[in-house]
Amino acid sequence: MELTLNHRKEGDRTVLEVGGEVDVYTAPKLREKLVELVGEGHYQIIVDMTKVEFLDSTGLGVLVGGLKRVRSHDGSLSLVCNQERILKIFRITGLTKVFPIHDSLDEALQDTE
Amino acid sequence: MMPDVELLVPPGAQYVGLARLVVTAAARQAGMTNDRLEDLKIAVSEATANAIQAHQRTGDDGPVQLQFGPTGNGHFGVTIADAGLPPEGSAPGAVGDRVEGGLSLTLIRGLADVVDVAGGSGTSVHMRFIVGGSPARRVVEDP
Repeated sequence: MELTLNHRKEGDRTVLEVGGEVDVYTAPKLREKLVELVGEGHYQIIVDMTKVEFLDSTGLGVLVGGLKRVRSHDGSLSLVCNQERILKIFRITGLTKVFPIHDSLDEALQDTE
Repeated sequence: MMPDVELLVPPGAQYVGLARLVVTAAARQAGMTNDRLEDLKIAVSEATANAIQAHQRTGDDGPVQLQFGPTGNGHFGVTIADAGLPPEGSAPGAVGDRVEGGLSLTLIRGLADVVDVAGGSGTSVHMRFIVGGSPARRVVEDP
Protein backbone atom coordinates (compact mmCIF):
# COMPACT_ATOMS: atom_id res chain seq x y z
CA MET A 1 0.00 0.00 0.00
CA GLU A 2 1.46 3.29 -1.14
CA LEU A 3 1.38 6.54 0.75
CA THR A 4 -0.70 9.24 -0.93
CA LEU A 5 -0.35 12.95 -0.18
CA ASN A 6 -2.59 15.70 -1.57
CA HIS A 7 -2.92 19.25 -0.34
CA ARG A 8 -5.32 22.10 -1.04
CA LYS A 9 -6.20 25.48 0.44
CA GLU A 10 -9.41 25.94 2.44
CA GLY A 11 -9.56 29.66 3.20
CA ASP A 12 -6.48 30.47 5.27
CA ARG A 13 -5.92 26.79 6.09
CA THR A 14 -4.03 24.15 4.18
CA VAL A 15 -5.51 20.66 4.22
CA LEU A 16 -3.03 17.84 3.70
CA GLU A 17 -4.85 14.61 2.89
CA VAL A 18 -2.82 11.55 3.82
CA GLY A 19 -3.80 8.07 2.65
CA GLY A 20 -2.36 4.56 2.86
CA GLU A 21 0.42 3.40 5.14
CA VAL A 22 2.68 5.75 7.07
CA ASP A 23 5.56 3.67 8.33
CA VAL A 24 9.33 3.74 8.65
CA TYR A 25 9.62 3.36 4.86
CA THR A 26 7.07 5.95 3.73
CA ALA A 27 7.23 8.51 6.57
CA PRO A 28 10.19 10.39 5.01
CA LYS A 29 7.85 11.37 2.14
CA LEU A 30 5.39 12.84 4.65
CA ARG A 31 8.26 14.67 6.36
CA GLU A 32 9.40 16.13 3.01
CA LYS A 33 5.87 17.24 2.21
CA LEU A 34 5.45 19.03 5.55
CA VAL A 35 8.85 20.70 5.22
CA GLU A 36 7.92 21.80 1.69
CA LEU A 37 4.53 23.20 2.77
CA VAL A 38 6.01 25.16 5.67
CA GLY A 39 8.78 26.38 3.37
CA GLU A 40 6.11 27.71 1.00
CA GLY A 41 4.46 29.60 3.83
CA HIS A 42 1.65 27.20 4.79
CA TYR A 43 1.54 27.66 8.57
CA GLN A 44 -2.09 26.69 9.35
CA ILE A 45 -2.12 23.02 8.48
CA ILE A 46 -4.84 20.42 8.93
CA VAL A 47 -3.62 16.87 8.35
CA ASP A 48 -6.60 14.77 7.26
CA MET A 49 -5.83 11.19 8.27
CA THR A 50 -9.25 9.75 7.44
CA LYS A 51 -7.75 7.50 4.75
CA VAL A 52 -4.68 6.37 6.70
CA GLU A 53 -4.58 2.58 6.94
CA PHE A 54 -1.54 2.24 9.12
CA LEU A 55 0.52 4.61 11.27
CA ASP A 56 3.63 3.82 13.29
CA SER A 57 5.92 5.79 15.60
CA THR A 58 7.95 7.16 12.69
CA GLY A 59 4.76 8.75 11.37
CA LEU A 60 3.99 10.15 14.83
CA GLY A 61 7.50 11.59 14.99
CA VAL A 62 7.05 13.27 11.61
CA LEU A 63 3.77 14.85 12.76
CA VAL A 64 5.45 16.13 15.93
CA GLY A 65 8.24 17.55 13.75
CA GLY A 66 5.63 19.26 11.56
CA LEU A 67 3.96 20.74 14.63
CA LYS A 68 7.28 22.17 15.82
CA ARG A 69 7.90 23.68 12.39
CA VAL A 70 4.55 25.48 12.11
CA ARG A 71 4.75 26.64 15.72
CA SER A 72 8.06 28.35 15.02
CA HIS A 73 5.98 30.50 12.61
CA ASP A 74 3.13 30.93 15.13
CA GLY A 75 1.13 28.46 13.07
CA SER A 76 -0.93 25.44 13.96
CA LEU A 77 -1.20 21.79 13.00
CA SER A 78 -4.35 19.87 13.76
CA LEU A 79 -5.46 16.39 12.79
CA VAL A 80 -8.62 14.82 11.44
CA CYS A 81 -8.96 11.24 12.57
CA ASN A 82 -12.05 9.14 13.28
CA GLN A 83 -10.54 5.66 13.24
CA GLU A 84 -10.26 3.99 16.60
CA ARG A 85 -7.15 1.99 15.66
CA ILE A 86 -5.26 5.18 14.78
CA LEU A 87 -6.62 7.21 17.72
CA LYS A 88 -5.41 4.45 20.03
CA ILE A 89 -1.81 5.08 18.93
CA PHE A 90 -2.14 8.76 19.83
CA ARG A 91 -3.64 7.87 23.20
CA ILE A 92 -0.96 5.32 24.15
CA THR A 93 1.83 7.76 23.33
CA GLY A 94 0.11 10.70 25.08
CA LEU A 95 -0.03 12.69 21.85
CA THR A 96 -3.77 13.36 22.18
CA LYS A 97 -2.62 16.14 24.54
CA VAL A 98 -0.24 17.54 21.94
CA PHE A 99 -2.42 17.67 18.82
CA PRO A 100 -5.94 19.03 18.43
CA ILE A 101 -7.73 15.97 16.96
CA HIS A 102 -11.06 16.35 15.19
CA ASP A 103 -13.64 13.79 14.06
CA SER A 104 -14.24 15.45 10.72
CA LEU A 105 -12.70 18.01 8.41
CA ASP A 106 -15.71 20.30 8.90
CA GLU A 107 -15.10 20.30 12.64
CA ALA A 108 -11.40 21.04 12.11
CA LEU A 109 -12.20 23.92 9.77
CA GLN A 110 -14.68 25.39 12.26
CA ASP A 111 -12.11 25.31 15.06
CA THR A 112 -10.68 28.81 15.13
CA GLU A 113 -8.14 27.91 17.85
CA MET B 1 2.64 -27.51 20.13
CA MET B 2 3.72 -26.38 16.70
CA PRO B 3 7.28 -25.13 16.26
CA ASP B 4 7.68 -21.43 15.54
CA VAL B 5 8.00 -20.05 12.05
CA GLU B 6 11.23 -18.21 11.33
CA LEU B 7 11.54 -15.25 9.02
CA LEU B 8 14.81 -13.59 8.06
CA VAL B 9 14.34 -10.00 6.97
CA PRO B 10 17.03 -7.98 5.12
CA PRO B 11 17.91 -4.76 6.97
CA GLY B 12 15.99 -2.33 4.74
CA ALA B 13 13.00 -0.18 5.71
CA GLN B 14 11.12 -1.42 2.63
CA TYR B 15 10.83 -4.90 4.21
CA VAL B 16 9.04 -3.79 7.39
CA GLY B 17 5.66 -3.86 5.63
CA LEU B 18 6.23 -7.39 4.39
CA ALA B 19 7.31 -8.58 7.85
CA ARG B 20 4.15 -7.22 9.49
CA LEU B 21 1.96 -8.78 6.79
CA VAL B 22 3.51 -12.22 7.25
CA VAL B 23 3.29 -12.19 11.06
CA THR B 24 -0.27 -10.82 10.96
CA ALA B 25 -1.31 -13.57 8.52
CA ALA B 26 0.12 -16.23 10.85
CA ALA B 27 -1.72 -14.75 13.84
CA ARG B 28 -4.98 -14.58 11.89
CA GLN B 29 -4.56 -18.24 11.04
CA ALA B 30 -4.02 -18.91 14.76
CA GLY B 31 -7.45 -17.37 15.43
CA MET B 32 -6.53 -13.88 16.55
CA THR B 33 -9.40 -11.39 16.43
CA ASN B 34 -9.28 -8.23 14.29
CA ASP B 35 -8.72 -5.77 17.15
CA ARG B 36 -5.75 -7.72 18.39
CA LEU B 37 -4.38 -8.13 14.89
CA GLU B 38 -4.18 -4.34 14.68
CA ASP B 39 -2.21 -4.23 17.95
CA LEU B 40 0.10 -7.00 16.77
CA LYS B 41 0.64 -5.34 13.40
CA ILE B 42 1.86 -2.10 14.96
CA ALA B 43 4.00 -3.75 17.65
CA VAL B 44 5.70 -6.07 15.11
CA SER B 45 6.26 -3.15 12.78
CA GLU B 46 7.87 -1.09 15.54
CA ALA B 47 10.15 -3.87 16.77
CA THR B 48 11.16 -4.89 13.23
CA ALA B 49 11.92 -1.28 12.28
CA ASN B 50 14.03 -0.87 15.43
CA ALA B 51 15.95 -4.07 14.67
CA ILE B 52 16.57 -3.01 11.06
CA GLN B 53 17.76 0.41 12.19
CA ALA B 54 20.12 -1.25 14.67
CA HIS B 55 21.71 -3.21 11.79
CA GLN B 56 21.92 -0.09 9.65
CA ARG B 57 23.63 1.84 12.46
CA THR B 58 26.12 -0.97 12.91
CA GLY B 59 26.67 -1.44 9.18
CA ASP B 60 25.50 -5.05 9.50
CA ASP B 61 24.16 -6.41 6.17
CA GLY B 62 22.81 -9.54 7.82
CA PRO B 63 19.08 -10.13 8.27
CA VAL B 64 17.10 -9.53 11.43
CA GLN B 65 15.32 -12.58 12.72
CA LEU B 66 11.63 -12.96 13.50
CA GLN B 67 10.26 -16.06 15.20
CA PHE B 68 6.57 -16.38 15.78
CA GLY B 69 3.74 -18.76 16.46
CA PRO B 70 1.08 -19.79 18.97
CA THR B 71 2.62 -20.45 22.37
CA GLY B 72 0.14 -23.08 23.44
CA ASN B 73 -1.46 -21.15 26.32
CA GLY B 74 -3.76 -18.95 24.29
CA HIS B 75 -0.99 -16.55 23.38
CA PHE B 76 0.70 -15.73 20.12
CA GLY B 77 4.41 -15.03 20.59
CA VAL B 78 6.80 -13.02 18.45
CA THR B 79 10.54 -12.65 19.04
CA ILE B 80 12.47 -10.12 16.98
CA ALA B 81 16.23 -10.27 17.28
CA ASP B 82 18.99 -8.10 15.88
CA ALA B 83 22.76 -8.12 16.17
CA GLY B 84 23.17 -4.35 16.10
CA LEU B 85 23.83 -1.49 18.47
CA PRO B 86 21.12 0.06 20.65
CA PRO B 87 19.88 3.51 19.53
CA GLU B 88 22.01 6.54 20.30
CA GLY B 89 19.02 8.11 21.99
CA SER B 90 19.37 5.61 24.81
CA ALA B 91 22.88 6.83 25.61
CA PRO B 92 23.11 9.49 28.30
CA GLY B 93 23.60 12.97 26.89
CA ALA B 94 22.33 12.07 23.45
CA VAL B 95 20.76 15.00 21.66
CA GLY B 96 18.48 15.39 18.68
CA ASP B 97 14.86 16.08 17.94
CA ARG B 98 13.99 12.56 16.89
CA VAL B 99 11.32 11.34 19.22
CA GLU B 100 10.46 8.09 17.45
CA GLY B 101 12.74 5.86 19.52
CA GLY B 102 10.94 6.54 22.77
CA LEU B 103 7.51 6.46 21.16
CA SER B 104 8.29 3.10 19.60
CA LEU B 105 8.92 1.31 22.88
CA THR B 106 5.94 3.06 24.46
CA LEU B 107 3.76 1.66 21.68
CA ILE B 108 5.18 -1.86 21.95
CA ARG B 109 4.62 -1.87 25.71
CA GLY B 110 1.17 -0.40 25.32
CA LEU B 111 -0.01 -2.87 22.68
CA ALA B 112 1.47 -6.25 23.60
CA ASP B 113 0.25 -8.18 26.62
CA VAL B 114 3.74 -9.26 27.64
CA VAL B 115 7.03 -7.67 26.57
CA ASP B 116 10.56 -8.82 27.40
CA VAL B 117 13.55 -6.95 26.08
CA ALA B 118 16.90 -8.71 26.36
CA GLY B 119 20.25 -7.14 25.54
CA GLY B 120 23.57 -8.79 24.77
CA SER B 121 25.47 -8.70 21.51
CA GLY B 122 22.24 -7.32 20.00
CA THR B 123 18.69 -6.77 21.17
CA SER B 124 15.93 -9.32 21.35
CA VAL B 125 12.33 -8.25 21.88
CA HIS B 126 9.84 -10.92 22.87
CA MET B 127 6.15 -10.04 22.77
CA ARG B 128 3.05 -12.05 23.51
CA PHE B 129 -0.55 -11.32 22.63
CA ILE B 130 -3.64 -13.03 23.98
CA VAL B 131 -5.18 -14.56 20.85
CA GLY B 132 -8.82 -14.26 21.82
CA GLY B 133 -8.65 -11.57 24.46
CA SER B 134 -9.53 -7.92 24.37
CA PRO B 135 -6.65 -5.43 24.41
CA ALA B 136 -7.93 -4.04 27.70
CA ARG B 137 -7.30 -7.30 29.52
CA ARG B 138 -3.70 -7.32 30.50
CA VAL B 139 -1.61 -10.17 31.78
CA VAL B 140 0.39 -8.69 34.63
CA GLU B 141 3.85 -10.13 34.80
CA ASP B 142 6.64 -8.84 36.95
CA PRO B 143 9.98 -8.58 35.21
